[in-house]
Amino acid sequence: MALALTLSSCDHLFQFNPNQVIFKDSEKNLTAKNLEKLRAIPVGDTLRFILMGDSQRWYDESADFVRSANRQQGISFVLHAGDISDFGLTQEFKWVNEIMTGLKFPYLTVIGNHDIVANGSAAYRKMYGALNYSFEYGDNKFIFIDTNSREYAFDGKVPDIAWLKSQLADNPGKKNAIVVAHVPPFDADFDKNLENAYTGALANDPNVRFSLYGHQHRFYDGEFYDDGVHYYLTNSMGGRGYLIITTWKGGQKVERIEF
Amino acid sequence: MQKYLLLIFTILSLSASAQEVGLTRHRKWYLPDHLKLQFAGNIGFLSGGPGYMSRNQTLETDLLFGFLPQKFGGDALVTTTLKTTYSPWRIPLRNSYYIRPFSIGAYLSYTFGPQFDTKWPSYYPAGYYWWATAFRPGAYIGGKIGRNVVMNNRKRSFELFYELGTYDLLLISYVQNTGYLKLSDITSLSLGVKFGFD
Repeated sequence: MALALTLSSCDHLFQFNPNQVIFKDSEKNLTAKNLEKLRAIPVGDTLRFILMGDSQRWYDESADFVRSANRQQGISFVLHAGDISDFGLTQEFKWVNEIMTGLKFPYLTVIGNHDIVANGSAAYRKMYGALNYSFEYGDNKFIFIDTNSREYAFDGKVPDIAWLKSQLADNPGKKNAIVVAHVPPFDADFDKNLENAYTGALANDPNVRFSLYGHQHRFYDGEFYDDGVHYYLTNSMGGRGYLIITTWKGGQKVERIEF
Repeated sequence: MQKYLLLIFTILSLSASAQEVGLTRHRKWYLPDHLKLQFAGNIGFLSGGPGYMSRNQTLETDLLFGFLPQKFGGDALVTTTLKTTYSPWRIPLRNSYYIRPFSIGAYLSYTFGPQFDTKWPSYYPAGYYWWATAFRPGAYIGGKIGRNVVMNNRKRSFELFYELGTYDLLLISYVQNTGYLKLSDITSLSLGVKFGFD
């Protein structure tokens, strides 16, 4: 009986289904909680942050990433470019969050295709919050958008172009608009019928200079549409790479880090 | 319709057999040898159903119907499971108690829901995701304690069992991340009771 009591203090002792969506209070609503932490950090004219992604089933490597990231200077926050989980399981989200809470900085996420599998979307909503969201920090407006079109059978609704346009339009301070998503628009998992509308929305906004992605598990960047918008892809945790992005009014610097 | 007929027939047979008396009675081959009720174990909050025992009393196979209420699972989930347990040793104790100190088993579960797939839809390229989300194979080890009783002149047995188990997706996560994950991270406990009609 004493053993049973000791064991039951462990929160994962009894599991009812791989697709159960059960979180502790401290594991819920993390986007809002982490934004609150971020707002407490003062911001100057220049912002420095990390873009990493695709932690899916690479826990050992993700733990190494945290050690590497914590050694970087002047970082305000970490962006996870999606595919937090591999199987869309709540347990995987919990493990990655446990690793990421080892960071000295708050972290924010965008949903990846693997995070939508099975009950993944429900787990993501409960743990982080909305799939599409934005926030302003210093001279920047970050816009996170679900671009995992294949998961919705290319139904023409993902990514939500109307929402993206409204977010870009709602920028009276003309802050740097930085769109962050998992699947880049030139990938086969992005809805071909929405590619032009999406890249056009970015190109037609003078506040957009660059946009950030994961998914392809490689460093890759370029001005792929010859429209003044630079696209950056970060490596996966399995690929042991991430980007440090420094941005200011009128410019950005992007460094590739291997760990 | 056939399903309902079979169900009615089974219930009639059960009630008919309940009227038989005597310790040497033979039940029809298709009637289950036992019923189980299980708590947790990744096949429902509670699951239960009939099972069969091998002639040498070491291998039991169960068909369990499990339910996870929204309140405890964050999502209401219905699961059916086929499960086989091998318990090679039986040690008699006093007062018709016995223990089966070691069991090992495996299961295959199927969870119902439009968000789960057995075969990925055609808009995915072949092999895009390699696992099916509706089916989940798992394995476990455990043990039991039981007692033989005679109820209304019929031989019966009660068993309490525990199982420590995991399933494919957690196992592969562990194998590839032995630095961060511990075996206890991928293992969970289930408890159950078995009522046997020996």
